[in-house]
Amino acid sequence: MTPAIAAQSLTRTFDGGFTAVDHIDLAVEPGQFFGFLGPNGAGKSTTIKMLTGLLAPTAGTVSILGEDLVANPVEVKRNIGVVPEGMALFGRLTASEYLNFVGRMYGLDKPTTQQRAEELLEFMGLANEQKKLITDFSHGMGKKLALAAAVIHNPRVLFLDEPFEGVDAIAAGTLKAMLQGMIARGVTIFLTSHVLEIVERLCTHIAIIHRGHIVANGSLDELRAGVQARLAPDASGQSHSKLTLEEIFLATVGSETGITNPEQELSWLK
Amino acid sequence: MAEVEHNIHRWVGDQKPWTQEQTRAQFRAIANLRWYIFRNGLRRKGGMSELIGTILLIPLFLAIIIGPALGVGFLAGMFVHKGHFQYIVLLLWAIFLLAQLTSIQLGQAGTTFDPTQLIRFPLNFRGYAAIRVFFGLLSPANAVSTLMSLTMAIGITVAEPRIWFYAFLTMGVFAIANIFFTRMLFIWVDRWLSTRRAREVFTALIFTFGMAAQYLNFTFNLNRHHGHLTPVNAARLAAATRFYHHSEPYLALLPPGLTSNSILAAHSGQPATFAAEVLGVLAFAVLFFVIFATRLYKEFRGENLSDVANAVAKTPARRHVTTAAIVAPVSSASPLHFSAPSTVAAVLGKEFLTLRRNTGIFYALVAPLIMVVFFANLKAGHLGTDLLFASAVAYTLMGVAPLCYNSLGLEAAGIQFFFLAPVRMRDVFIAKNLMNIGLAVVEIVAVFCAITVIGRPPSALVAVSVVLWAAFTMFISMAVGNHRSVTAPKKVDIAKMGMAKNQTGQLSAFISIGVMLVAAGVGAGIYAAAHFWDKPWIMPLAALVLAIIGFFAYDRSLRTLDQLLADHRDTLSETLCKA
Repeated sequence: MTPAIAAQSLTRTFDGGFTAVDHIDLAVEPGQFFGFLGPNGAGKSTTIKMLTGLLAPTAGTVSILGEDLVANPVEVKRNIGVVPEGMALFGRLTASEYLNFVGRMYGLDKPTTQQRAEELLEFMGLANEQKKLITDFSHGMGKKLALAAAVIHNPRVLFLDEPFEGVDAIAAGTLKAMLQGMIARGVTIFLTSHVLEIVERLCTHIAIIHRGHIVANGSLDELRAGVQARLAPDASGQSHSKLTLEEIFLATVGSETGITNPEQELSWLK
Repeated sequence: MAEVEHNIHRWVGDQKPWTQEQTRAQFRAIANLRWYIFRNGLRRKGGMSELIGTILLIPLFLAIIIGPALGVGFLAGMFVHKGHFQYIVLLLWAIFLLAQLTSIQLGQAGTTFDPTQLIRFPLNFRGYAAIRVFFGLLSPANAVSTLMSLTMAIGITVAEPRIWFYAFLTMGVFAIANIFFTRMLFIWVDRWLSTRRAREVFTALIFTFGMAAQYLNFTFNLNRHHGHLTPVNAARLAAATRFYHHSEPYLALLPPGLTSNSILAAHSGQPATFAAEVLGVLAFAVLFFVIFATRLYKEFRGENLSDVANAVAKTPARRHVTTAAIVAPVSSASPLHFSAPSTVAAVLGKEFLTLRRNTGIFYALVAPLIMVVFFANLKAGHLGTDLLFASAVAYTLMGVAPLCYNSLGLEAAGIQFFFLAPVRMRDVFIAKNLMNIGLAVVEIVAVFCAITVIGRPPSALVAVSVVLWAAFTMFISMAVGNHRSVTAPKKVDIAKMGMAKNQTGQLSAFISIGVMLVAAGVGAGIYAAAHFWDKPWIMPLAALVLAIIGFFAYDRSLRTLDQLLADHRDTLSETLCKA
């Protein structure tokens, strides 16, 4: 089966010689809810930018639904929806104006765009904020609007960079249900989030990037098995069969991030 | 809600081939976007006054360019009529240079949003390039060069109607070449200036260029020599003319030269030569467009132009911080004792760091000093060092005093820290004002040293009087400036800041100039009175009284600052914290 998202030897080196993403390979199957994790500065957002055409790779290829991103950017972009790192909203528009603009840019006709914009605003709980400029939105409202803009054209692949950041619990629950509904219809979702509980609950596959390299990739069980193989049973002789994603993540990258036990280091906080 | 969710899931994502109508809809959507951004911009604070300002500026701009445009058209017609075709090239070079200068002074036509954001939408490169070209056509520079090209064509047609077609054709191609040259130049300049270091280097170049121009102006300005050419200047003019004649064959290969020759060819009835010359200009236009499009294509593919990546690249390897390093400074002082001096010292340290990284302010401070050196070299003998010192100090203070009028502008969202921290705002402002006074002191000492080295030191009486007058001026500027900083803040984007301009609001800038003029008037009055009564001791005495009055006014203003800030907290947050 053609992967929904495929990246081969994807690399990005910046002007100063810093390589943020270093020859990574990814293959996300259609209908997968794919979690992409990593510590701060690991290369998550750079990877998403390259996968969505916002940043040119220094080397490597990207194809979405079998279409090469460089050779056929229009076909790729009309099939994907993105909630980028900075949300990329136009502050001086209202939410309705923004959604209508985005819909038209994705080739929807006017009546369809208007209908979907209204439905999305209602769904996201933004229908009562019609006259407010986006610049006056709270962070959470901005996130909800960015997500609405990402799905207005009914994309087949959705890239979400920290979509739940700042979103209240009620809205987050609704959004999660919506995303799971999209997965059930065969949409592929590529998600980054620092909230590991959400990733653990939603994602069927997970990759962990660290210092520009993929250091773990597979289903949660596969990741768990990989960590178990590395860790010896603890002092009580228990195995690590119930490792949470947080424990897996920390076991994979935590020891290299430089963060040590805070109680040991910052004794003056006691 | 469930029904709505059902509807969202019902959407069918069947992809039909992308149509021309969808591309046209994208263009209309972007045109609407620009309109919405403009219209909604009027809703924000100060939006309407900005619109009124723009409306007032349009006729002024038209008046400024229509005069020269008519003049160029008239001169073109006259040169053709009298057969002076060799002068037409000068008009064309003037148009070319004016277009670039207009671009520098007034900027490119903004799209009011970052156009590179459009690359996330399903646009092909042709569409993206068309949008970038089309939405940049209404820039002042394009308006200037196109209007002048048009009036030149009209002027030539009036002088020699039989070549009207040739005139309009060649001037049209010349205008297109000019437009693409400007677009090409500025898109590449944007690329080069995408990092802070590059902007600093560019600012330094502009600064050096400006200072060099002033030096030449002081040294060679013919009016300073009573309108007569000195032998030295005559020799230099002759050398410049010789240089022009030597370079003329090469200049003839550039668009203004080719266009000028095409007009001559049309006049001489040589259509083949005319066509070759016009094709030459067209080739330049294509070349400029290709270079412009090369950059656009990189934008379209996605590139990183910010400082962020470079900053990440230069981040040193993570190191473990030891407990001792963190604990030591905190444990040395009681954590709950926030004395004013420590607040002032901390803010002062921060101000110094900000100043050190702000080349715009640095140049604004250095430029007046250099001008003083130029001026002192020329005028030390005529004015006398006393008056020279007084005027030089007043002049240099014009660079320092405006900084008081938007003290919080650089804080941006960081202003919230001051709202949260257990500090009094008067202490914050005292620190900021100490920095202003420190800068003024440095400037005055530098002026004193420069004048002493060039000529001789000013008399002690004048030096003391001027220093006291400067203290009075700074106290009043700080009192008024602190008030304006709280009531009319303006967010300063350090990432986009090159030159020191735009660091205060328009009205604050006017007020700062007004305060300086009033202070200068008072100072001049004291000087005149002392000379009138021939009692020089009046000067320091009166200046001392002024300084004391200024200090009390400043002190009084400080007492009201915390309340003033509490009253304007919302305005400050709205203006400084939002994007």
